[in-house]
Amino acid sequence: MSNFTFKLKWKVLATALLIMLCFGWESRAQSRTVIGKVTDAVSKEALIGATVQVKGTTNGVATDINGNFKLNAKDGALLEIKSVGYLTQTVNADFVTPMVIKLSASINNLNEVVVVGYATQKKVDLTGAVSIIKSSDIANLPVGGADQILQGKAAGVSVTQSTGAPGDGINIRIRGVGTINDNSPLYIIDGIPTKNGINEISPNDIETISVLKDASSAAIYGARASNGVVIVTTKKGKNGAPRVNVNAYTGVQTSQHLIKMANTSQYVTAYNTAATNDGRPLIPASIIAGLPDVNWQKEVLKPAVINNAQASVSGGSENTTYIVSANYFAQNGLIKNSSFDRLNLRTAINSSISKYLSMGTNVNLGYSKNRQVGTSGDGFGSGNPGASVLRYALFRTPATPVRNSAGQFVDLPQNPEFFGDGLNPVGFADNFDRNFMGYSVLGNVFLELKPIKNLRIKTDFGTNFLITDYKQFFATWGIDRFFNSPNSLAQSNTNLFDYNWTNTATYDWTLAKKNVFNFLIGSEVIKSNSRALGASRTLFADQSSTFQYLDNGLGIQQNGSNQVHSGLFSLFSRINYAYDNKYLATFNVRRDGSSRLDPSNQYGTFYGGSLGWRLDQEEFFKNIRQISLLKLRAGIGQLGNQQIPEYAYATLVQNSGYYPFNGISNQGNSISVLGNPKVRWETSTQTDVGLDIGLFNSALSISADYYIKNTSGVLLPPAKPSSAGGAGSATVNAGGVRNQGFELEIGYRGNINGKFKYEFIGNFATVKNTVTSLAGGAPIVGGRIDNNYYATQTQVGQPIGSFYLLQQTGIFQNAQQVFTHAYQGPNVKPGDVMYKDISGPNGVPDGVIDDQYDRTYVGSPIPKFTYGLTSNFSYGGVDLSLFFQGVYGNKLYNQVNTDIEGFYRAFNITERAATQAWTTDGSSNQFPRLSWDGATNNKRPSTRFLESGSYLRLKNIQLGYTISDRVTKKIKLSSFRLFVSAQNVFTITKYTGIDPEIYTNSNSAGDGVRAVGIDFGTYPSARTFTAGFNANF
Amino acid sequence: MKKHLYIVLAGVLVLAETSCKKALDQPPLGTYQAATFFNSTANAKSAINAAYVPLNYGDAFANEEWVLGDVASDDAVKGGLAGDQADIDNINNFNILNTNSAVESVWGRNYDGISKANFVLDGLPADNKTVPDADKALLIGQAKFLRAYYYFMLTINYGDIPLRLQVASADNLNAPKVPQAQIYAQVEKDCTEAAVALPNVWTGADIGRATKGAALALLAKTYLFEAKYALSAQTAQQVEALGYALTNKFTDNFSAATKNNSEAIFSILHTSGLSPKQGNGLNQAFAPRGALNGYGFFQPTQSLVDNFEKSPAGVIDPRLDYTVGRAGHPYFDSSFDPSWTATGYITKKQIQPISEVPISTKGDGNLNVEVLRFADLLLIEAEALNESGNPGAALLPLNRVRKRARESYLYDSTLGSSIVPTGLLPDITTTDQSQLRDIIRKERRSELALEFSRYYDVIRYGNTYATNALRDLPNFNFTANKFFPIPYSEISTNKLLGK
Repeated sequence: MSNFTFKLKWKVLATALLIMLCFGWESRAQSRTVIGKVTDAVSKEALIGATVQVKGTTNGVATDINGNFKLNAKDGALLEIKSVGYLTQTVNADFVTPMVIKLSASINNLNEVVVVGYATQKKVDLTGAVSIIKSSDIANLPVGGADQILQGKAAGVSVTQSTGAPGDGINIRIRGVGTINDNSPLYIIDGIPTKNGINEISPNDIETISVLKDASSAAIYGARASNGVVIVTTKKGKNGAPRVNVNAYTGVQTSQHLIKMANTSQYVTAYNTAATNDGRPLIPASIIAGLPDVNWQKEVLKPAVINNAQASVSGGSENTTYIVSANYFAQNGLIKNSSFDRLNLRTAINSSISKYLSMGTNVNLGYSKNRQVGTSGDGFGSGNPGASVLRYALFRTPATPVRNSAGQFVDLPQNPEFFGDGLNPVGFADNFDRNFMGYSVLGNVFLELKPIKNLRIKTDFGTNFLITDYKQFFATWGIDRFFNSPNSLAQSNTNLFDYNWTNTATYDWTLAKKNVFNFLIGSEVIKSNSRALGASRTLFADQSSTFQYLDNGLGIQQNGSNQVHSGLFSLFSRINYAYDNKYLATFNVRRDGSSRLDPSNQYGTFYGGSLGWRLDQEEFFKNIRQISLLKLRAGIGQLGNQQIPEYAYATLVQNSGYYPFNGISNQGNSISVLGNPKVRWETSTQTDVGLDIGLFNSALSISADYYIKNTSGVLLPPAKPSSAGGAGSATVNAGGVRNQGFELEIGYRGNINGKFKYEFIGNFATVKNTVTSLAGGAPIVGGRIDNNYYATQTQVGQPIGSFYLLQQTGIFQNAQQVFTHAYQGPNVKPGDVMYKDISGPNGVPDGVIDDQYDRTYVGSPIPKFTYGLTSNFSYGGVDLSLFFQGVYGNKLYNQVNTDIEGFYRAFNITERAATQAWTTDGSSNQFPRLSWDGATNNKRPSTRFLESGSYLRLKNIQLGYTISDRVTKKIKLSSFRLFVSAQNVFTITKYTGIDPEIYTNSNSAGDGVRAVGIDFGTYPSARTFTAGFNANF
Repeated sequence: MKKHLYIVLAGVLVLAETSCKKALDQPPLGTYQAATFFNSTANAKSAINAAYVPLNYGDAFANEEWVLGDVASDDAVKGGLAGDQADIDNINNFNILNTNSAVESVWGRNYDGISKANFVLDGLPADNKTVPDADKALLIGQAKFLRAYYYFMLTINYGDIPLRLQVASADNLNAPKVPQAQIYAQVEKDCTEAAVALPNVWTGADIGRATKGAALALLAKTYLFEAKYALSAQTAQQVEALGYALTNKFTDNFSAATKNNSEAIFSILHTSGLSPKQGNGLNQAFAPRGALNGYGFFQPTQSLVDNFEKSPAGVIDPRLDYTVGRAGHPYFDSSFDPSWTATGYITKKQIQPISEVPISTKGDGNLNVEVLRFADLLLIEAEALNESGNPGAALLPLNRVRKRARESYLYDSTLGSSIVPTGLLPDITTTDQSQLRDIIRKERRSELALEFSRYYDVIRYGNTYATNALRDLPNFNFTANKFFPIPYSEISTNKLLGK
């Protein structure tokens, strides 16, 4: 059932109502005629089918196709104007001049229809927890990804960018973190289940997003729904003359919140202090004078442009509607050679072929190009983009020039013992040439049959075809150190072909007028197939881009290919029941068969159900006019997480390296990962109770939910001792995780004198995450920050991925303290960091600080609560919106501070670490003495580098001006709005790193949620200033 | 119209039913499953090849045996830039935490090798009829040798450790620590069985695989470490009988052109220019910084240099300049630059001249790393004979090693003379067990310098010797540092470890 058909149905109902009302009016005459037009207050578009009624009577009409109405009323009558999705307005009838009534969109209208799984439902009838985001909430945000726009817009939907790099991944967590594995929600775009599709569409093409948060609403998606479901509905054409819409903005991004690093003179002083303490040669005065003073952060973070242009044409006739749109988005990064460009072309057509049959199609063609530099991490491990450019910008000493007199990049400084061997970050970024091109088709065709009244049968075939084309050239560079030597070219091509074939039938049945049933049954086949081909060569004589093709590489050649596939077959059903609009019930069931499970045991069944009670419909509430909605909801259900590895049931043997007997390469094969034939889905059992309130004619709306989500059978790789060999661990369904939380969404809108309008939409969500079971297994480490040293541990009773570190208790102020405190190692001296003796082999403090007994849980990267607040103001043609967003109560491990405050070699350090270091008793209890020898103790992973990650950010401020009708009419525009906006305007935080909004880093990405919030020198978010316009013809 | 639609609809439903069955049949592609892997000799051979891979030094910092074997000893220091790879300095200074990267790396690599050898042994039981018995014996022989080698390395580094003789499975991940004697017993058993199964030599494309000589030499060395001297001597003599010979030129053992020579009993193989890369990464890690594009790690100490004998006329043991780069002597085809090193010396073993490996492919060296060479075996034999009360017999193998060293003058024209200088490295004649013990130890240190085994000898010689050798390192404590700590990653995950 599509939006379109539902709207059509509404039109019919409205017309019927109108006819009845008209008869009512015929019986009484003696009135005068009022004529007028009803339009949208913002877009100025005519509103079709709005009802105009004389208040206190049954006398009313509906507006025609041009939004016009005509009715008779008595002098002094009040007209009440209502339309689906708009706030009701009451005005005095004007018999003299044609009236123009501008309706403002409702934030929480009772008649609003929302998209739920495989169908739509009236929002008032919902019994599950569903958050809705509309296109108007997200318009003109200067972000590249459709997923980014969810940030701060829905309670319980936490959205964090991995880093601030253009095109970098977005992490969406609905109602906490339910598993140590994949926590990404299921995305359904126009009925197409897709993993990547959300990145393939333009945010401008989105009409609404429904987030199914609880089990009863999501159970219809069964084995894939445990992490929540995000249903995206794209814009469709509307009946009427062709309408042209053009939006565009352009802007500039700048860096913000740079870290205050030591300058050359501070660095030299710090170096020499440490050298004196440690007995190393000092930087001779002779060379100090001529040293440069480079601010490397400013050298690598440069202003960059951002552009977006969107044009669409839509319209339709009685039988067919269409929309065609094109979008181009281009964002350069603050760091050279990083950028994200995307082009989208979209067409959607819906057509009624006959009374019984309709069909339609949506097709989105996408092209994207993502250029990447190292954005996070230290480059450890394979497959990551390389060490963070910013990390080098932080720890390369200011005393080395960017380029030599010949204009070439200086890499290794003249005196590396004094000025370090950190890479030249400018040269490093300049030589990055890492490109991902994406070519995608996301689309479907459907056929809908209405053989009898109230029965709809629909077959829908959808596909997501995505080619990812990767090309990276590793150029040799540096005059004194030879990077990427020999040079090399790597290319790969991955073809992902997913399709779904979904068949549904719905039947609406009313029994004895008050019992309204809605049945849905369906079947679905989903197949995914991914093939990849990759090749690389080395030794390119000519490094120019013209010759960056494999054939020109004369050295080592490598190539390979692979294929991964999976399938899902499902049957599902839902029953909605409403009694007299008062008592509501929903029951869902889905049976899924998955190829990811051992062939002997592939099926599972998932249920969900919920109840609702519309108290406002009860007699005892009907008289309270202030209350327009009061609904209690409760639901329970079970969902699966099928994002488990494709072949977890099988022990796989794969290439595990080569060995050259007699100079000839011999391939070795061994176990790459252990299998577990008993592997099953992870299952979450969720309960939800909620309350929806609408007050003062829905001017104030409140929606609150409390939930408990227990995930069981979480797939764990049992912590594998290194003595068990290098193969990957088998996964077993052993873990348990509980998330519980409270969610609140509040909206309030009002006006002063009808001219100054204001609106506040806020959301707030808490989440408490606890690991309830590891099935007796050892804690699971994550977030490698040093050789075999991990910052986090996932343990029963703690949140997933909790930081597990030594606790800094201060600085040793004198020798006596060193002597009397627990033993920390042979070289510890006054001025060194003091750690807390937590325990020992006998379970009590043992007078020795060691990692085995003295690390403890010191915080979690999961915020205690998240919030967002959007406020909109308008007066006349001027509108202003402010969007705040924030998180509270999470911790971040500032790993890059171990380098830039740990001072253990010739790397630059922060100004505060250089100038506020401990010198004598009482001089500092925060920053240890400057000593490389002492650093082994002082930079041990500890709370010294753990910081609060709470922040409040004015994410966006936008000021717009809509040119008045009189002007636009003259230039044949139906509306025209100009706006300026600023993104990431300011941030309130105690975090000392460059950006508190980080999720993960390249090193820890493979550890997923077990290792988030570790900052290796992240690519910072930009502050973006844009200006643009929206025009309708 | 309506009728046709129903027909189409019915067709659709039928199609849906059949396609669902297929949708769920999606087995792994392009990869074997373990249960069916050992169905051919070729597959089994690829499994044994995998068991050799953890030996390699393709990345000096992923295989830090050189750190534990030599940097910990009195022969070498970390080198490189101050502050870089601080954990290596921590080994050097005996400030060793159980999270130390070298401690972790050596443990993990050797156990990975054991797991891969066990995969072969598990996959080739007697009732596997798809691999012919003759092939099976050779594969099992190699697997047992490799397992023995990895266990030997582990137990000399860590002492009491878990003993795993099968591939760990999902429900069998933990294993208790067993006494070192039990590990040695397994090494003896595996070496003995491997010696029976393996050929004296391999030819053609198999050159470099484990041989009978390798198994016996490792057995002799194991017996020596266990102080089973008579058995050690006896086993060493069995190896001698297989026909190994010292090369005329000492440097042939450290030169790419003369790999797999008559002295090599078992080598870790590297070949440059292969794809994927299978070259020697030590060539870059140990080469001097700057123009030679190395990292400058692993610098020899004055103490090592002082160990080399001089003739009465002051002519130094030629092995010194084969082993160590120093001022006043060319460094292969480059001239020595004193700024390269803090100790004044830089290693020459494991390094190739720029003419062989250019700076652009520095980390893809072509040198094998000798693990068991005949000179080592002769010194094992000498020591075992002397310790088992037969000093007279010990002189013969000892003097063979010394003879080859002094006769470098006959074969190496760069020494500037073809006459052995008078009194240089003379044959030893004393049969005093105690004197001879000192001489053999000194000889062993010079002959095998910078071949990653000095620390184990130092410890093996006992508290007095070790404490004296490492007297400059105040943190060294024989009892505490006899073995490296079992790494944190093991302690924190292996629940049976202490049981």
